[in-house]
Amino acid sequence: MRNKKPAAVVAVAVLGSLALAACGGGGPTAAGGKLSDGKVVIGLLNDQSGVYKDLSGPNSKVAIQMAIDDYKAKYGAKAVAKTIEIVTADHQNKPDIANTKAQEMYDRQNADIILDVPTSSAALAVATVAKAKKKLFIDITAGTTELTGKSCNKYTYAWAYDTAMLAKGTGAAVVRNGGKSWSIVYPDYAFGQSMNKSFTEAVTGAGGTVQQSIATPFPNDNFATFITKAASTTPQVIGIMAAGGDLINFVKQYNQAGMQSKAQLAVGLMFITDIHSLGVDQFAGTTFTEPWYWNFDAQNKAWADRFQAKTGTRPTFAHAGNYSAALNYLEAVQAAGTDDADAVRKQLDGKKINDIFLRNGQIRSDHRVVHDVYLAKVKTKAQVTEPWDYEKIVQTIPAADAFEPVSAACKM
Amino acid sequence: MSAFVQYTVQGLAAGGFYALAALGLAVIFGVLGVVNFSHGACYMLGAVAAAVLLDVLHVHFWVALAIVPILLFLVGVLMERLLIRWLLRLDPLYNFLLTFGLSLILVDVVKRRYGVSGLPYERPAGMAGQLHIGGIGLPTYSVFVCLFSLLICGVVWLLLTKTRVGMIVRASTEDADRTRALGINVGRWVTPVFGFGIALAGLAGVMAAPFRAITADMGSNFVIILFAVVVIGGLGSILGAVVAGFLVGLVEAYGQAYAPTFAQVAIFVLMAGVVLFRPAGLFGRDESA
Amino acid sequence: MTQHVNNTSETPGTPHTPDTADVAPQPAGSRRGPLRWIMAAVGLVATLALPWFVYPPVAMDIAAWALFAISVDLLLGYTGLLSFGHAAFWGSSSYVTGLIAIHWGVPFPIAILGGMLFAMAIAVPIGYLSVRRTGIYFAMVTLAFAQMVYFVANQLSGLTGGENGLQAIPISFFGIAPVETDPFFFYFAAIGLILLGIWAAWRIVHSPFGRVLVAIRENPARARALGYDVDRYKIIVFVLSAGLAGLAGGVFAISHGFTSLEELDWTTSGKVVLITVLGGIGTLWGGPLGAAIVVTLEDRLTSSGFEGTGIILGSIFVVIVLLFRHGIWGTVRDLLQRRMEPRHDRGD
Repeated sequence: MRNKKPAAVVAVAVLGSLALAACGGGGPTAAGGKLSDGKVVIGLLNDQSGVYKDLSGPNSKVAIQMAIDDYKAKYGAKAVAKTIEIVTADHQNKPDIANTKAQEMYDRQNADIILDVPTSSAALAVATVAKAKKKLFIDITAGTTELTGKSCNKYTYAWAYDTAMLAKGTGAAVVRNGGKSWSIVYPDYAFGQSMNKSFTEAVTGAGGTVQQSIATPFPNDNFATFITKAASTTPQVIGIMAAGGDLINFVKQYNQAGMQSKAQLAVGLMFITDIHSLGVDQFAGTTFTEPWYWNFDAQNKAWADRFQAKTGTRPTFAHAGNYSAALNYLEAVQAAGTDDADAVRKQLDGKKINDIFLRNGQIRSDHRVVHDVYLAKVKTKAQVTEPWDYEKIVQTIPAADAFEPVSAACKM
Repeated sequence: MSAFVQYTVQGLAAGGFYALAALGLAVIFGVLGVVNFSHGACYMLGAVAAAVLLDVLHVHFWVALAIVPILLFLVGVLMERLLIRWLLRLDPLYNFLLTFGLSLILVDVVKRRYGVSGLPYERPAGMAGQLHIGGIGLPTYSVFVCLFSLLICGVVWLLLTKTRVGMIVRASTEDADRTRALGINVGRWVTPVFGFGIALAGLAGVMAAPFRAITADMGSNFVIILFAVVVIGGLGSILGAVVAGFLVGLVEAYGQAYAPTFAQVAIFVLMAGVVLFRPAGLFGRDESA
Repeated sequence: MTQHVNNTSETPGTPHTPDTADVAPQPAGSRRGPLRWIMAAVGLVATLALPWFVYPPVAMDIAAWALFAISVDLLLGYTGLLSFGHAAFWGSSSYVTGLIAIHWGVPFPIAILGGMLFAMAIAVPIGYLSVRRTGIYFAMVTLAFAQMVYFVANQLSGLTGGENGLQAIPISFFGIAPVETDPFFFYFAAIGLILLGIWAAWRIVHSPFGRVLVAIRENPARARALGYDVDRYKIIVFVLSAGLAGLAGGVFAISHGFTSLEELDWTTSGKVVLITVLGGIGTLWGGPLGAAIVVTLEDRLTSSGFEGTGIILGSIFVVIVLLFRHGIWGTVRDLLQRRMEPRHDRGD
């Protein structure tokens, strides 16, 4: 019997660990999807630990909760969704993790909708999952135009911005303000290439010229040679299409090279958190396009005050966007009387919206939400009156002009 | 032509970081036989330390340049005493794996504490703008990095050739057993040498702070390039590490300027080529591995 | 490599006990025989039961990483070669599998076969060049080649999708709907391929070829002196190992319906080495054990919102390398053997 002992030990160990794992929720998926018994589950999938943590991150949950509270306050006893839960997951800006987590949220946690999802590759992965599972997905924080182009589908919405809007805003406006000759520096991957294309079109369309388009490796932390190359044709404007950490690297080295006085810096994609992390001074005078700014008017500021009371910091456009998307989703559920995805999306399609996030907003046929956007200029340190008060809104770009028309590539 | 000079200076500046850090890596490998995977994380710690010192204690760049390497020296000593020394008797692959695990921990600790958005850092006083040499505008800081790293490499070279410690390090790098047979207590120098190697990585980190985004991940790809550098220079060759560091910086700069698509991969092609056809690297001796 | 401070070079994978456990010749009527069958049976039961207890896509991940780790162990534990670029085979196979599935719509085992063959094909030149070096040099050169593969995949973004990854890889299985739509049934359809891979590894290890590998690990000069073409053996096991990694990568791609550059990144190569060492080098059970721990741990930690997966994994890894060099399975096995041997000596 001694022969069996080690085997017995092993068998017990294995079965023991299986038992421990048993809270993992295995088993076949119930067919036909679940009608969540009067419970609405909102999934928040974003970056909770990486570069976009401050942009949306855990505070977006607070924003969504604010939306839930406002919805309940408005409808009280007549609310269709009496129990509303939020589930969250961290996709670490990786499309493979986003893909897995989205499936888990829809299947394992019965999410009826997923919100947020920064990073274009992750957003595209989630859109594919949403289509396969026939459940809703509203993207707030990723910028790829493909979400409403080649990869569009009935269940996916793009709520806040896209790269074409950024190009039309920043590119055209800067040209109109006198910055006619450009050198564009862009990271050589899908996002960077599409930004380069959009900006080139916008700049030349507004009457400017693009002297050079310089591709850089991605990711990259050493831009010195590219800055030299860009400056060599003495353009009036240098457009940088890098984002996140690469953008910070670029700006640091750009300033280090003494370029601030030589050319205007236009940034393709920038967030208020980038200004915060590098410091206002290094970005002073830079122009970029914002989907929403907390200190734009009294209405925004009031919401920002509510947000600050709960989180201790000011909201970014992503927080406001999550609030708006969640609230409008709940309103659609209310109108449809159910959380069934197909019924709810019929309520959303074509809807006109005016709330704290969207001004003159409308959900278009390609599920792109068009709305007013803002051309912002970064203040100098002296002009900043309180933390996060970094932007001066130079111009409001109306909804009709801000976005590209519906793409022929989108076939729902 | 002036563009070429600018690229060269930039390449030498980037190479300076590589050379300093690679020098540390080579010294550690030479004396301990450890391939330190956490060298990139230590570079990152140097930059983060500089940023934190500035933020909390208002210590400026020039002072940080002196203090941070000392701090990293202590970190290195701790690492060696607590972790590395237990595996020195075994195949070097174990310490390679240990330091890999260590780098995961270090990066994550920094991420938890400081996030990944990057820490702000100042432009060092007196380093803004450009120098005009021979009619060509060169960023002042790049020139400084070039010259300073060359200076430090020179100082280390003097230490290695003119002092007793240095002689022990060099002898031990060539043949530890014979050095010991001559009655020299090599073991006594193991900890300080490791600390010194880490301090060099930290120094590179401080110098990178004004120049590069200070993020928890900044060392991760840096260490892979460092491996390429020491392999090209010759694992265990101290001179090789320095020369290869500057060389790789130049390859990167010229590659980016003239053939950006291939710049990223050129270094690895070079690395593979060296391992295959001249495994001792440019300056190493052929260890029939 | 020259000895440095004080070296009795213990190569990774050498067990403490004089009898090199899994690969020693079996005396007739050995008590190890029934033990091994019992363990295999338990393993099989655990494998088949897994998707009942664990979310099926995660169960599939565990199985795929287990095979991937076994492929690395073939090189590291049995031949003494640390590959730090094995993601090149796992990742490239995942892309080729995906592309075949998308463009030709064949049943997924065929797509996976295609991916596996591609991985083996690129392993031939890479292996041929890499085996000229050993130890840390081998690790470095495999790393360099993996970076090159990553670069090529990124450049061919029209084909691979670049940063966005390869999306919407379909599952096609002779029209059997439950397999094609429900991850639970897909697991049972795909696990056969994984088990096939594990069986192949087992056969390689417990064969004369496998014993030559161990001889090469212990003393290459002696093996050469005995007339074995050491380099040729190394290349063969390298290609076989790449094939198994490719098999695992193909299953991974179909299971997720998606693959990305992440699967070619050096951090993926690092992760599989971590899993292998954690489970136990030089044991075949180490791979599945390590994979189960790491995949489940990561799944739990990221779902719970805990920040610091790297700290946990890194710490576990450091502890294992320092204290339990033979990994969890290796250490358990050593303990059990030590308990069993004195009794054996007493003639029971």
